Amino acid sequence: MAQTQLEGAQRIGSRFPKLTFILDRGKQFGPRVGRLCLTRPSDSPSNHVIDIRTPNFLIGTSRGAVPHFSRDHVHSAKGISWINVSFESFLEQTPPVPTYQTGSQPLHNFLGFDSSKHIVSLSLRDPLDAREMPPNGNSHVSASCMRGVRKVTLADWRSYVLTMQPDIAFALSDTPFTVAPHSQKRLTKSIERSAAWLADLLRPVENMMDDSFSESTSAALNVFVHMAGGTSTSARRAFSHSLMETLYGLEADAVKPLLCLDEGVAGYAFDLAALHNSELLAQTPTPNTAGTPTSLSSSMIEPLSFLSLTPTLDELLRASLDSLPIAKPRLVTDVRSPHEILCLIRDIGVDVFDAGWAVKAADIGVALDFIFPVPSGHDSGPNHCKRDIGHNLYDAKYAHDFVSLSDAFLAGHNGTSSSKTPVCPCAACSPVAPTSPIYHSKVDVQSHQAQSDDGTSREQFLPPFTRAYLHHLLHTHEMSAHTLLVAHNVVILDALLTGVRTILSGHADQNEAEVIFAREVTRFEEVYDGAMSVLHTARDNWKDVKYARGKGRLLREAQKEKDVRL
Amino acid sequence: MQFEVIAKCHTTRARVCRMKLAHGITMLPTFMPVATQAAIKGLTPQQVESLGITLILNNTYHLNLRPGIKVLDEVGGAHKFQGWNRNLLTDSGGFQLVSLSKFTNITEDGALFASPFNGEPTMLTPEESISIQHSIGADIIMQLDDVVSSLTVGPRVGEAMHRSVRWLDRCIEQHEKSGRKDKQNLFAIVQGGLDPALRDICLDAMIERKDQVTGYAIGGLSGGEEKGGIKQCADRLPSDRPRYSMGVGFAEDLLVCVALGVDMADCVFPTRTARFGVALTFKGPLNLKLGKHTKSMEPIDKNCPCPTCASGMSRAVLHHIVTIETAGAHALTIHNLVFQARVMGGARDAILEGRFPEYLKSFFFDYFGDTGYPEWCVNALRSVGVDLMQGVDVPVS
Repeated sequence: MAQTQLEGAQRIGSRFPKLTFILDRGKQFGPRVGRLCLTRPSDSPSNHVIDIRTPNFLIGTSRGAVPHFSRDHVHSAKGISWINVSFESFLEQTPPVPTYQTGSQPLHNFLGFDSSKHIVSLSLRDPLDAREMPPNGNSHVSASCMRGVRKVTLADWRSYVLTMQPDIAFALSDTPFTVAPHSQKRLTKSIERSAAWLADLLRPVENMMDDSFSESTSAALNVFVHMAGGTSTSARRAFSHSLMETLYGLEADAVKPLLCLDEGVAGYAFDLAALHNSELLAQTPTPNTAGTPTSLSSSMIEPLSFLSLTPTLDELLRASLDSLPIAKPRLVTDVRSPHEILCLIRDIGVDVFDAGWAVKAADIGVALDFIFPVPSGHDSGPNHCKRDIGHNLYDAKYAHDFVSLSDAFLAGHNGTSSSKTPVCPCAACSPVAPTSPIYHSKVDVQSHQAQSDDGTSREQFLPPFTRAYLHHLLHTHEMSAHTLLVAHNVVILDALLTGVRTILSGHADQNEAEVIFAREVTRFEEVYDGAMSVLHTARDNWKDVKYARGKGRLLREAQKEKDVRL
Repeated sequence: MQFEVIAKCHTTRARVCRMKLAHGITMLPTFMPVATQAAIKGLTPQQVESLGITLILNNTYHLNLRPGIKVLDEVGGAHKFQGWNRNLLTDSGGFQLVSLSKFTNITEDGALFASPFNGEPTMLTPEESISIQHSIGADIIMQLDDVVSSLTVGPRVGEAMHRSVRWLDRCIEQHEKSGRKDKQNLFAIVQGGLDPALRDICLDAMIERKDQVTGYAIGGLSGGEEKGGIKQCADRLPSDRPRYSMGVGFAEDLLVCVALGVDMADCVFPTRTARFGVALTFKGPLNLKLGKHTKSMEPIDKNCPCPTCASGMSRAVLHHIVTIETAGAHALTIHNLVFQARVMGGARDAILEGRFPEYLKSFFFDYFGDTGYPEWCVNALRSVGVDLMQGVDVPVS
């Protein structure tokens, strides 16, 4: 064991891929397009460049797995190019089991991600988890795993990161998950610690100096930093300032050759989960961003008069970014609606979003159905009601609905090149027949020959899975429902961001592009329900099915349906 | 159905057959995974097909409740509903009436049970079972039989057997007049409990009806370790009809059944045990929940072609997610289905190549060499001329 870790450390110097971000256009605040390029070292087994056009998204993992996906689905899924792994679930064992993985790209290999296709980042905590936690210390963070809370020290984190060799690592951040409000003193401590902890991860790797083969001095760990400062704009400014400050003395020596911390930072991360939970923000009238999942229920939905970000959240992000260079990627986790994504692109210029909300929608049986920009003729909802952003497939109205999951997209099977409506390429809407099934005996070839002989030209796409089928799977508690819905929802999110990029890069004049984009965002807000009421109803239905399981379920459900009708 | 025996084992009664149905060719002997509610747990039909599986089972009882016949009629059957383009088999719904329903009262007319929707008495007749199966549209459908537990003794067993024969006639009549005989194939179910005399009477009656049925299932024997009934049936059933042993899924049971002359079997075991964290291997089942797998960087079986093992997914990763993440269930379900298919595919090759007895011996040695051979397996295989104990030093348990 000790030996494998030693070998790992010896490899490190030359193994970091190089992450670059090229901002095609954009200013300090406002919509922007760019590309994030990950170039693996020339001697790596997969000599590939991964190119992600921004704005784009990442998908988080649960216990190291993309939720509801088997590995073959992760590899064949459309749209997934950045996967974030939260390490904390692995703290159940000491040392954490992934650190036993040998070979190059241990994190990719341990979890089965494709290093020619997937950028894999590593954070200690799950950015969507904002539950209350014991306080952090001066040099440790409280992390959560199934066996309880674990203290992770700076040294631990640094060694996990160096051993696992993620493409991108998130520096530890002192975000208080204790009961709010937090004192001025606590905030000050939080930004000081966060800066110091960042500096610790930016310390050069010892072996790098000896590595005569590392021709590129810039091949350092790619570090993203959480923008600390909580709900205080001044604390946020102070934190950003500390990143830009020229370092002297011991501090400078520690991170040599960096002149300031920001030089070693590859990107800025904003975890909205902590802000969503904060009482300070909850007081502002923003039901669509301030609700916590546990308090959501259909009875609580208020009619929503405005959909844009609260000035407060907006101001917080601006306060952090104001003094920082513009050409670094900005990542936001725990967004909760397409509306919020569009506003963050329009008003701030965020480059990467996490897909957690789309996965959660799949968890509770919602098939997303929206499109950006909204095509003409798509606006008329019945009775001038706004359209839902998806379908709650628990609803009985889908029991006989034999069409594919989205109205805004066609199934591959039904798509024609002449149609203006785009095709949804997901595994639910555009399933593809397997090309090379496993043979288990010599004679198995007969089973497959006959199939291919039948239809001389097999269609590219099989008929889509229908809403009626998904409705059935949800009510029978079949896991396949969630697999298909994650595949679909992720593609719909991908299409949203592709739509954004197309508008923003489709006009020679940047101001014109921005005006058109802003107009399309407004139109999107007018057409689609930003209160996301469909998610709340679905969550209630999901709970009903979950709790009704077991003997006598059908009777209980029939009874309930009768009660609803009365 | 076109059914052709391609090869026979020189020693045992095992055989390789080619069964052509409306949705393609399935090579036998084969194991049929169970998609109770029109989905193999957690997988998509494309994934299942990619594993080399060409025949799965749906449960009539469940599909009749959800999504219901109306939905299936509207969409044009269960194949289209679930997006499965390969062969499909449905049971009659009778077994679940007995195993799941609160009270079931069997009368000559049919099975009277409490509707799970409203508790009201509902009758499932043989005619209705067939007509539900017509709506589902499976390539192979089953007669409704009068199921009694294999523990039942006394006159009830005989009554159930005789009634099953009478119900078969009603099922045949319903099927004949449906006009679906070209697409759907009716199988009879041989009953008779553990009583060889009763089973013989049942066999006589059902073989008499050979021209009206395309295959035979052997019922009421899945639970026990007594394979005498299966041997008795397989010996007497006509060789130009497929033989289906219902509810058999353990690898050793499967191979014994194949040796006795069985062509098809189904069971929820491999998919269910996957959800509980157990991977099936040629060296016996592997419970990945156990602490000893925590740090194991090995795959379940490095020779296994399933996507889980082929991706190098380690036992450590599986230990971390099984029974917690759905992805853990998917990974093991995929693996276990491929394991079942490999056991049966290996049997097909061995029969074709005239080395099936050796295949049995090496399988049992790998699978049970450490713990000892189950006595019933040794006895059952001796009855078809294979002596597992010959030349090996393995205890019998």
